[in-house]
Amino acid sequence: MQNNDELKLVLLIASIAMLMMAFFVIMFVMYYQKKKFEEEKKINDIEKNYNRLLLDTALNSEETERRRIAQDLHDDIGTMLSLTKLSLNQLSKLIVTSGDDKEDAIMKKSQSLVEETILHVRRITRDLVPTTLERFGLMEAIEEFIHKLEEDNNLVISFQSSTEEFPRQGQKLELTLYRIMQELVNNAIKHANCNKIDISLEIDEEIIGLRVTDNGVGFDPDKIKESNLAGLGLLGIESRLAIVNGTVQYEQPTQGGSSAIARIPVNPASGNKPEPLHPFRRERVNI
Amino acid sequence: MLETYFSYFKRQPLASIPVFLTLLPIFLIWRSKAYHERTFLILLIYLVFKFVLDFTMFEWASNQRNTVLFYNLSVPVRYVLTSCMYYYKLEYKQQKTWLIISMPVFVGFSVWDIVQTNPSLLDLHNHSMVLYSTTVESLLMLFWILLYFYNTIRALRIPNLLNYPFFWICSGLLLYYSSLLFIAPVLHYASKWEEWMDIGILYNVPYVFESVSIILFSIGISQYSDSSYAK
Repeated sequence: MQNNDELKLVLLIASIAMLMMAFFVIMFVMYYQKKKFEEEKKINDIEKNYNRLLLDTALNSEETERRRIAQDLHDDIGTMLSLTKLSLNQLSKLIVTSGDDKEDAIMKKSQSLVEETILHVRRITRDLVPTTLERFGLMEAIEEFIHKLEEDNNLVISFQSSTEEFPRQGQKLELTLYRIMQELVNNAIKHANCNKIDISLEIDEEIIGLRVTDNGVGFDPDKIKESNLAGLGLLGIESRLAIVNGTVQYEQPTQGGSSAIARIPVNPASGNKPEPLHPFRRERVNI
Repeated sequence: MLETYFSYFKRQPLASIPVFLTLLPIFLIWRSKAYHERTFLILLIYLVFKFVLDFTMFEWASNQRNTVLFYNLSVPVRYVLTSCMYYYKLEYKQQKTWLIISMPVFVGFSVWDIVQTNPSLLDLHNHSMVLYSTTVESLLMLFWILLYFYNTIRALRIPNLLNYPFFWICSGLLLYYSSLLFIAPVLHYASKWEEWMDIGILYNVPYVFESVSIILFSIGISQYSDSSYAK
């Protein structure tokens, strides 16, 4: 009888111990899982911020390099070309007095080539650094971009904005939107085989939306993402947007073609006026 | 007939409650259509099997008949069905292979145990509960549950375990088999029609934790939703 009581006691203690262990295991799994998730989240956040910083630095360097090249083109090559043009003008006067028609024709051709080169250098300089964007804002810069494109291509590009006076945004945000617009339009011209592009800019209290729609062959955004066909252009758009907490969405309109819409949180410009790009400054710029 | 049921229910409430409580998770699985997911389909089969068997045992017990045979038969079936859920939950092929191997081995072992403890199988009145099978079953199940928990912690795929139905099912099984582990061998001597050993309150411990596990199953199933489970 005493043995039976002892056995019962031992069994009771063993069962309670086992059940306590089971409870402990359940609690431990819950606690450890939660803790590990939090740690993982922290590491992910650090990694994300680090990548963002890297991307930001890379894009800043790119913009600095663009400015440097634009400055060199403007100051060095541009000046030299102007001087060449001046010298050719003087030489042209001498040739006119000598009365040699053949030499005069060669001179005129040379002058026209130099003038054309000067124009090209100016265009490249403006493409490299969107001075209009920094001076007058996004709407004017987009209009200028469209105007230049329509001159060079057989394209109809329309631009609409939800507001007549588009409020100035932070320099980085405006440049991001401008570069994305450039990339989307260039993509449409290069790959979509389109003859009409619509650009629209919308702003509300929180979000700026930039939509670029073309009537070209269109593409399936999911397929492109699945097959890793997203070229540097689309990746570049996503990278730029990641820095300003923006998103991009690709759609296939029912009437054909393709449409891309980038959404970025509003970030109004601070009181400081953007520094003018001309004359170019040598210092590093932080966009 | 109902009178005998009520009478037995009054005499053995702790043993009777889990019989009818089993209907709750069955109803919840049916209502939430959780049976579309394979794990819950197996759980449903197990619960239906358990209810049918438990009710038969309840009916026999209320008529003063030995029900141990049904319990002995339920041991291998219970192991096959519950471990089968882990077959779909464990990720590594090697673990799955061991689990699959354990099923026929355990079934064979429990059949041997039934025959060993009851040389005269047809003598239902003096039928005894298996000696080793329940303990081995508990050990094996605790191993698979802990292995699943280990894999879950390592993989970090479930953001919130409290919202994850299978976590509750595992917790229920863990508590049930933990309560059974040390008591199971003694039940062989306690669950006899004649010359039985009195183990007092310990006899009811598995019944209490059976009810607890069924409640945990129900909590888990109530967390089930098609979309969240797919994630």
